[in-house]
Amino acid sequence: MDRNQMHPAIERVLGNIEKVMIGKRDVAELSLVALLAEGHVLLEDVPGVGKTMMVRALAKSVGAAFKRIQFTPDLLPSDVTGVSIYNPKEMEFQFRPGPIMGNIILADEINRTSPKTQSALLEGMEESSVTIDGVTHRLERPFFVMATQNPIEYEGTYPLPEAQLDRFLLKMKMGYPEIADEMEVLNRAQRIPPIEDLETVMDLAELRSLQTEIKEVHVDQTIKRYIVEIAGGTRNHSSVYLGASPRGSIALMKAAQAYAFMYGRDYVLPDDIQYLAPAVFVHRIILRSEAKFEGITAEEVVERVIARVSVPVQRLVK
Amino acid sequence: MGYQRVQKDFATFLLYVLGFFLLWEWLRPVEELTDTSNIIVFLVFLVLSLLLAFFGVSPVMSSIIKVLYILYELHYLYFEGSFFQFSWIAVFASDMWHNFGLLAERDWPAITNLFRSLLFFILLWLMTYLIQYWLINRRQIFIFFFMTLIYITVLDTFTPYTADAAIVRAVIAGFTVMGILTFNRLLEQEGLKKEASLSRKWMIPLTALIALSTGLGFAAPKAEPIWPDPVPFIKSYGQNSGSDGPGIQKIGYGEDDSRLGGPFIGDNAVVFRAEVESRHYWKVETKDTYTGKGWVTSQPEGEYLPFGMGEEIPVTSFIDNDAIETTEEVSSVYTFMNYPHVVYPLGLKNIEASPFITFELETATEKIRTLDSGRPFALEDYKLGFEVPEYSVTAMKASGAKAESLPEEFLSRYTQLPEELPERVRELAQEITQDQPDWFEKARELERYFRRAEYTYSQTDAAVPDENEDYVDQFLFDTKVGYCDNFSSSMVVMARSIGLPARWVKGYTEGEFKQSLGSGLRLFEVTNNNAHSWVEIYFPEMGWVPFEPTQGFNNNVQFNFDTAGQNTSQPEADKPKETETPIKPDKPEVTSSEESPFTLEKLWSNIESFFKEHWKVIGAAVLAAALLVIVIFQKRGKWLPHYFIWRFKRTRNDEHFSKAYLILLKELDRYGLKRKNGQTLREYAKYIDSFFSTREMSRLTAYYEELVYRGVLREGSWNDTKELWENLIKRTIA
Repeated sequence: MDRNQMHPAIERVLGNIEKVMIGKRDVAELSLVALLAEGHVLLEDVPGVGKTMMVRALAKSVGAAFKRIQFTPDLLPSDVTGVSIYNPKEMEFQFRPGPIMGNIILADEINRTSPKTQSALLEGMEESSVTIDGVTHRLERPFFVMATQNPIEYEGTYPLPEAQLDRFLLKMKMGYPEIADEMEVLNRAQRIPPIEDLETVMDLAELRSLQTEIKEVHVDQTIKRYIVEIAGGTRNHSSVYLGASPRGSIALMKAAQAYAFMYGRDYVLPDDIQYLAPAVFVHRIILRSEAKFEGITAEEVVERVIARVSVPVQRLVK
Repeated sequence: MGYQRVQKDFATFLLYVLGFFLLWEWLRPVEELTDTSNIIVFLVFLVLSLLLAFFGVSPVMSSIIKVLYILYELHYLYFEGSFFQFSWIAVFASDMWHNFGLLAERDWPAITNLFRSLLFFILLWLMTYLIQYWLINRRQIFIFFFMTLIYITVLDTFTPYTADAAIVRAVIAGFTVMGILTFNRLLEQEGLKKEASLSRKWMIPLTALIALSTGLGFAAPKAEPIWPDPVPFIKSYGQNSGSDGPGIQKIGYGEDDSRLGGPFIGDNAVVFRAEVESRHYWKVETKDTYTGKGWVTSQPEGEYLPFGMGEEIPVTSFIDNDAIETTEEVSSVYTFMNYPHVVYPLGLKNIEASPFITFELETATEKIRTLDSGRPFALEDYKLGFEVPEYSVTAMKASGAKAESLPEEFLSRYTQLPEELPERVRELAQEITQDQPDWFEKARELERYFRRAEYTYSQTDAAVPDENEDYVDQFLFDTKVGYCDNFSSSMVVMARSIGLPARWVKGYTEGEFKQSLGSGLRLFEVTNNNAHSWVEIYFPEMGWVPFEPTQGFNNNVQFNFDTAGQNTSQPEADKPKETETPIKPDKPEVTSSEESPFTLEKLWSNIESFFKEHWKVIGAAVLAAALLVIVIFQKRGKWLPHYFIWRFKRTRNDEHFSKAYLILLKELDRYGLKRKNGQTLREYAKYIDSFFSTREMSRLTAYYEELVYRGVLREGSWNDTKELWENLIKRTIA
């Protein structure tokens, strides 16, 4: 995609993030896509590759309140959502908001905590509200969760259930930086961490208006059909036990809208779909155990489906 | 012609020398194959012309030199006296004038040798110009070289000219020239200076390569041809007689019957006219030995029995006996072709011709040759006295039993069959005749067998047997289509296979009835189309009795059934009549009753018969049409883009943009740039652009993406993109 056509506000944000995140533009782009599409991101990677830095840079760039929750096995749901505490002076329970009451939340190592605590976060992600002691608290828009998890093969983890994985718009991997990029990271680390100097380049109001604008991005019938065919392809694939859900299709469409918007278009291209489909679908697909033994990964399945489903090149005949 | 640009270095000189060698190869066969002599004169002219070109003599000057040389040589070849007397010029001019007149009249053969030589000089002059142009200006000689090879090989194949050495010389010269020319072209393309070291780098490997490849070609074992030599076939196709082997033959009376088969072309040339009392066949000769491919004579040729005018003729036919009633008749023959032999009917008794003519009978074939004082002589007219036999069937039936009386030698001569004759021929003959008690009935049964519908008479569809095929076997079992030679040979072979002495007779049918001459005489005209062959079977004590197996023909042989057993012979009794009058008397009634109502069935049968009659033409037309369609389809890369450009050129309507783009996709696909199923238009456009090194496809695709994925067609987008589209589609032209 041509960078020159990028939406100027978004290019500003990305440029800002790039100041601290070296060589991770694609991750930054996808994170921003999720933010703009009002979705959430699951980052799966080993510690120390800059997940936190990414989220902080993003939060700082858009001037959002950044909260961080470090998930541990003994974390309680109230530690996430907040708790009502009896105030003897005022003679009443007073709600003390938890870290979820922010704009951009980093849920670090989400699979280290118990499913009970996980679900507290996930309710907030899906409903944009939390219920504490029978009182429902609306969460402020934008609300964006970036959860990280260690690869689930590791010991002492509680894998997220499929239904909850489905709530993340995108799942991506950070990956190690390139050699040159990592050297640059070292260079910068010698000085004060640059994250402290990062400026806000977009305010929340602008972000919210962008979020609304994105919903207007045209998704043609041909593209919708293409999305559905790809989703259907994952469901029918011989290696797949459970394919992408209709929620997955919706997620792909929304992400594609945001992505197209990011590149200054008011309509979605098949290219957008192809680019985003792996990130949207991979965590929604459960492979058959035979396929896993054969070493087939969900990424490969999605790639094969994309290669097989024919790209629409004509308008649908009504 | 760029005389100035000629570099006078060794390589260029070598080019001219090699060009001369190539031209020389064209002249060598001329000397050998035509009556052209003094070819050296023309060679010198070639050398002169090329030298003038090499030294860059100005066109005017060199033209003068060449003209003078031509005049001098023409004088030397065709005129007496001194060149400088100039008196010959007038003769020369008048000869020119005369020849131009001949040219105008298209009287080619009359053109004089002088004029031919002049034209040849002019041709060579043009050739040297061409060589000069190819070598120096175009720096490409391949076409000429290739033509030279074709010329040499064709001459080698079809004429006595042996090109064994010529082909080697031509290849060496041609390859060297091409090598040097390539070098020159490369130098020019790369803008290099011609240096000695560079030349050496090129020329030494070139020489080595040519020497090596020529040596290898010389030393390598030569494979035998894989295909049978097609040359005899092509040759025989071009010639009118089948003397060189089977092929398309012209009908008529030929001498050589050792290889029968193949189609005939009709020929209406009149051989003779005859005044006859009753219609009868005309014999010329008989043959007794079947080779599996055709007929030859077993007896040594050149054994002749001379006899004079009015003497008893030693031709064997029927034997005088009570069982044969004879009628005396006379026929007069007026020949139109100069054959030194006579045609004669069965039962010939005497020949009357102009005095001093003697006759001799070739014993091997029973051909009667006419001689005038010992030399073959073609008679213009002669009278034949003969007896028309009428055989008694009873005697005929009884005759076969006396076979033992026949001499052994005679029997073996006339029941000869090749050893390779397939067994199924014998078996078929056995099968046909097993129910018949005697020779006569067997012969009749064999004769009748060929009247069956599965055999078809055709002059054009007759097959030629392959090397390992038998002529008769092929006709009887495989093709079942043929003409008189097929039918008659088959009957002779089958008759022989069941022990009947039989021979193959050649001659003419009675011909075409022309007019009545009064007093019972009728005039018949016999043409080459009436050339015919039939069968004679020998019955002991009866003699040679003719039979006619060929469909649609009837030899007017009379059999007398009155004393014969009524039970078997009744059907045969009316047979001659039946065939003699092919138009059935009841035909008008039949057709009138059929004709009245128009029915679908009739229409259907009409269509069916139309297809049956013309299926070859229709099949060929369909095949040709299919081929044409295939070729057009295969070559669509050449014309389809032009068509699309033409189609979309005039339109300004944006609606057509989408259609045009999709057509472009299809054309690119046909061109070989396939779009994968999962490839988006944008990726594909990039691929196309990188292939053609443009950005046109991406630009065009951007418009189209907007149309398809946004549903918006910008106004004027077709106008904006037309040029892009046209450029792209032009690239797909193969």
